[in-house]
Amino acid sequence: MSHASLNVEIGRIRDLAPGIREFSLRRSDGADFPVFSGGSHTVLSLPLGERVHRNPYSLLGDPSVRDTWRIAVRLQEASRGGSRWLHEDAREGMRLDISAPVNLFALNRTGRRHILVAGGIGITPILSQARELARLGADFEVHYAYRAPEFGVFADELETLAPGRIHHYVQSRREQIEFGSLLAGRPLGTHFYICGPAGMVAASLNAGKSLGWPDSHLHSEQFLAPSGGEPFDVKLALSGHRFSVPSDLSLLEAIEQQGVDAPYLCRGGACGQCELEVLGADGELIHHDLYLSADERASGTKIMPCVSRLKGGCLTLNL
Amino acid sequence: MPTPAIKSQPVYPALEWDRAGTHHVLFVAADEAALARRLWAQPPAGPITLILQHADGAPMTGWLAERPASVHTIAAATLELALKALGDTLRAAQMGTRLYLVGPEDAIWQAARLADGFGMSRDEMRLMQAGTRARPVFCVHCRTVTRGVHTHIVPCSGCGRALFVRDHFSRRLGAYMGFQIDAEAPGDIPAAEVIYP
Repeated sequence: MSHASLNVEIGRIRDLAPGIREFSLRRSDGADFPVFSGGSHTVLSLPLGERVHRNPYSLLGDPSVRDTWRIAVRLQEASRGGSRWLHEDAREGMRLDISAPVNLFALNRTGRRHILVAGGIGITPILSQARELARLGADFEVHYAYRAPEFGVFADELETLAPGRIHHYVQSRREQIEFGSLLAGRPLGTHFYICGPAGMVAASLNAGKSLGWPDSHLHSEQFLAPSGGEPFDVKLALSGHRFSVPSDLSLLEAIEQQGVDAPYLCRGGACGQCELEVLGADGELIHHDLYLSADERASGTKIMPCVSRLKGGCLTLNL
Repeated sequence: MPTPAIKSQPVYPALEWDRAGTHHVLFVAADEAALARRLWAQPPAGPITLILQHADGAPMTGWLAERPASVHTIAAATLELALKALGDTLRAAQMGTRLYLVGPEDAIWQAARLADGFGMSRDEMRLMQAGTRARPVFCVHCRTVTRGVHTHIVPCSGCGRALFVRDHFSRRLGAYMGFQIDAEAPGDIPAAEVIYP
C-alpha cells in the first residue's frame, strides 16, 4: 500500500545513555512537517543492504515545532537490523523516507484527569502526550520508571514541562510502581495511559480492571518487533504468488519482497491495518499481535502478517 | 428486541448489574417493581447508592421495600432534585463506579449527559427505558426541546411550528429530532395521533 511519505535528513544525533540515541529529523525539501497529536508515531524506512526495513518510532518532540521531529531509539539486543543500523550506521546528513504521523495512542479529550506511565524507552509517546496536556492546561501526572539514574534520559525535559507532577521510579534503587495503589480511589473521568515493557503494561491493566476501571479509560501502546521463527511457505490466492518466508523476515516483509502491495500501518502488531484473511493453514498460526481478539484468533481465519507467522507447511492468504 | 430502522434510535437491553464495577449508582425515575425485584435479588459486590425520583407520586414500593439494607437511598420529589443528587454523588465518586439509569427517556438521557460531564464513558453506564414513552423533541428550526411529547405531531414550545417527531435520536441532546411538517404546504397539518403513550 502506498503511503504519503516524507523524505528527511538526519540532523543532530545525540547519545542520551548507553544504548539510547536521539535523532533530529528535518525535511529534505525544507518544508514544515505536518502537525501531529500527542502519542503519534512515524514509520522509518531503513536501508539495510538490499532490503528496506520499516520500524515505528514515537514522535517525542513538541508538535508545535514544525521544522524538526525528534525520535529516540533504544538498541534492541535481539535487533533484526533496524535499531542496530540507527545506532551503528546512521550518520548526520543521511536521508531517509518516513511516513506521515499515525496515532494509535491518542489522548481522550473528554478526560478530566490523566495518569501517564512510562517504562524505559516507553517515555517517548508519553512525552508528547504530556506536552499536549500541558498545552491544554489539563490535570495530569507522569510516572516514569527506568533501570538506573542515567537511563532517565528525559527526566529534565519532563520536569521543565510539568514541575512537581513527575514521579520517578529507579529500578536500581528498588523503586517500583505499585499499580494497585496508583489507580485506587481516583475520581471519575480519570484516564490511564501506559507505554513500557509487556510485563509492566499487563500488570497495570490487570490492576485497573480489578479496581473496576472500564476498558475505555485504560490506554496502552506497545510496538512489537517481528520475532523470527521457522520458515514456511505461502500461497497468495488472488495474485497466484507462491514463495517461502525465511526465518529472519516477517510475513509482511516477505509479501512485499514479491512486489505485492499489502496494507500496513504500524508494523508492530498494534493497529490492525495489515489484517489478512487466512484461506488455509497447513499448520498452526502463531499470533504475536496485540490486535486480534481471542475469538478471532480461535477462528483461525485472520492473521496480522507484520508480526505473526505459521508453524508448519503452507499458508494460503486471500491476497 | 426489534432493531430500529434508524440506527440512532436507542435500543435498551434488559438491565443487568455490571459486576466488573466496584461501586454502583442506580438512578430510578419509574416504578418498575418486576425489575426492582430482579435486581435486588442478586445485588453486586460493593456499595450501592439508589437515587429515586417519585415520578408522579408513584409509590416506588418495589425499589424501596425489597432493597438490601446496605443500600444508601436518596429520595427526590422532582427530576431536577434527582439530577442534583446524582451530580453530588458523581462528584464524590471514583473510578470503578457504574451508573444505571432507569426511567423515561427524557430523564435517563438528561442523567447520562450529566454523567458525560463528569468524564464517564458509555461502558460505565447502562440505560433502560421505563415508565412513559413520551419523547423529548428537539426543534431543528429554533433548537428548543419540547418535553413529554406523546403524539407524532406536536407544536414546538419555542417557535410554534408544527413538528413531525422522527425516530432520529441525538445522544448529545438527549432528544428526538422534530421538523416542520407543513414546510412545503403551509397549513397542511395532519391530525396528531398519540403513539408514544
